[in-house]
Amino acid sequence: VRCQLSPQQRPLQASAVLRRVSDEQKEPLASSSQQQFDSHPTDHQPEQEPQGPRPSYTGQGGQESEDYESEEQLQHRILTAALEFVPEHGWTAEAIAEGAKTLGLSVAAAGMFHSDGSELILHFVSQCNTKLSELLEQEQKLVQLGEAEKKPTDQFLRDAVEARLRMLIPYIEKWPQALSILLLPHNIPSSLNLLTSMIDDIWHYAGDQSTDFNWYTRRAVLTGIYNTTELVMMQDSSPDFEETWRFLENRVADAMNMGNTANQVQSTGEAVVQGLMGAAVTVSNAEISRAVR
Amino acid sequence: GDIAFRFINYVRSVRERQLQQKLKHHQNLSWQEISESYQEDKSKSLGNSQVVVCDINKEMLKVGKQKAQHLGYSEGLSWVLGNAEELPFDDDKFDVYTIAFGIRNVTRIDLALQEAYRVLKPGGRFLCLEFSHVSNPLLSRLYDLYSFQVIPVLGEVIAGDWKSYQYLVESIRRFPPQEEFKAMIEDAGFLKVDYQNLNSGIVAIHSGFKL
Repeated sequence: VRCQLSPQQRPLQASAVLRRVSDEQKEPLASSSQQQFDSHPTDHQPEQEPQGPRPSYTGQGGQESEDYESEEQLQHRILTAALEFVPEHGWTAEAIAEGAKTLGLSVAAAGMFHSDGSELILHFVSQCNTKLSELLEQEQKLVQLGEAEKKPTDQFLRDAVEARLRMLIPYIEKWPQALSILLLPHNIPSSLNLLTSMIDDIWHYAGDQSTDFNWYTRRAVLTGIYNTTELVMMQDSSPDFEETWRFLENRVADAMNMGNTANQVQSTGEAVVQGLMGAAVTVSNAEISRAVR
Repeated sequence: GDIAFRFINYVRSVRERQLQQKLKHHQNLSWQEISESYQEDKSKSLGNSQVVVCDINKEMLKVGKQKAQHLGYSEGLSWVLGNAEELPFDDDKFDVYTIAFGIRNVTRIDLALQEAYRVLKPGGRFLCLEFSHVSNPLLSRLYDLYSFQVIPVLGEVIAGDWKSYQYLVESIRRFPPQEEFKAMIEDAGFLKVDYQNLNSGIVAIHSGFKL
């Protein structure tokens, strides 16, 4: 998180204007720019003391919380808007530029991000993981309230992985591209982090209370299942990805039966998927060997 | 002028690539770029892109125009006489504002930065290429030696003008270092301000966004 000190007041104006522009799309940019110029502070700013960034959730009495938006939040908004353009442009700077346009910003704003689209993908993955957590949380609540049955572990894992993978469906065509970008050296720390915390989440909601060695093996196994199922999904052309879910079911069953099973690699396919798979398996192998050591 | 030419080349290459993709996929790809552009309703080989070259000195503009003609750049370029401290443009007009080795010569740099902020669209990017400070002490000594002993001499021998090159070197020394200039840019209202040193600080590119 970059801490912007002095220019706190101004960007807030800018983002307030942007919000209004995006909310009331009829409003011409001319009037809002006028507003921006008028509110432009003069040279002497005695009251401008260094303040920490004030994101909207700390809001000013709740009403005009929109006025305070940190850079991070604006970046998140741009990335979220950009997702809509991914099927057409892929995970690229073009998609981000289009996203920026829909928010009323110049396409030059895409320059804020890495040119290979890494942040867009990481943002998406992080969003999906959050959605999954919320989903699992809700299910847990229902079980606690007695309104639903507690699922057996294998069913639980299957459903969780399926739910998470289904989030990829709108972007499935460009997902192989995303995977290869996530495996770039400079992205691996972040992508691995996201992956492991997601797997951790799933096990947590599955009711895993282990404090012993099993903690590691469980996570390694599930990571392997998730990665390989994801790759199978890239190749799957069956209606509603039936093949993938069947593959998933088999893998989970195997894992249940064989305790310490490592990866089951299964693939049919073109060179691209082979390469990706090799990389993904290497990554999960590395994780297992680190855990097993 | 030079940046303008490179930008036009870039735009053309992007459009070519896009056209090729269009033919391949039969889709309507809307065109994007992350470089200089000035939005106008003209559809030529540059699409909606335009570059405005602005200088305070009429002679410089003339030289630029000649160069453009010589190199074959005809469309998409406009040449405007103007002062960086008081630009003859409306607010929120440009996607990108670039200034290369020019801001050093502006009397009130803060005014120039404010003007840059004003004419940029929300989301627009400010880019400045300028001489800056060398952090490496050894290189710094060598650079100083070269600057004060060699450059003015060359200036006298080649151009018959010692004073201009003396001025050049001195103005480089007077210009604020990277961090200070970054703070000045932030003061003008830009966010996500960053800089990149080229040749370990002899030249730096500063970038900021109007958000």
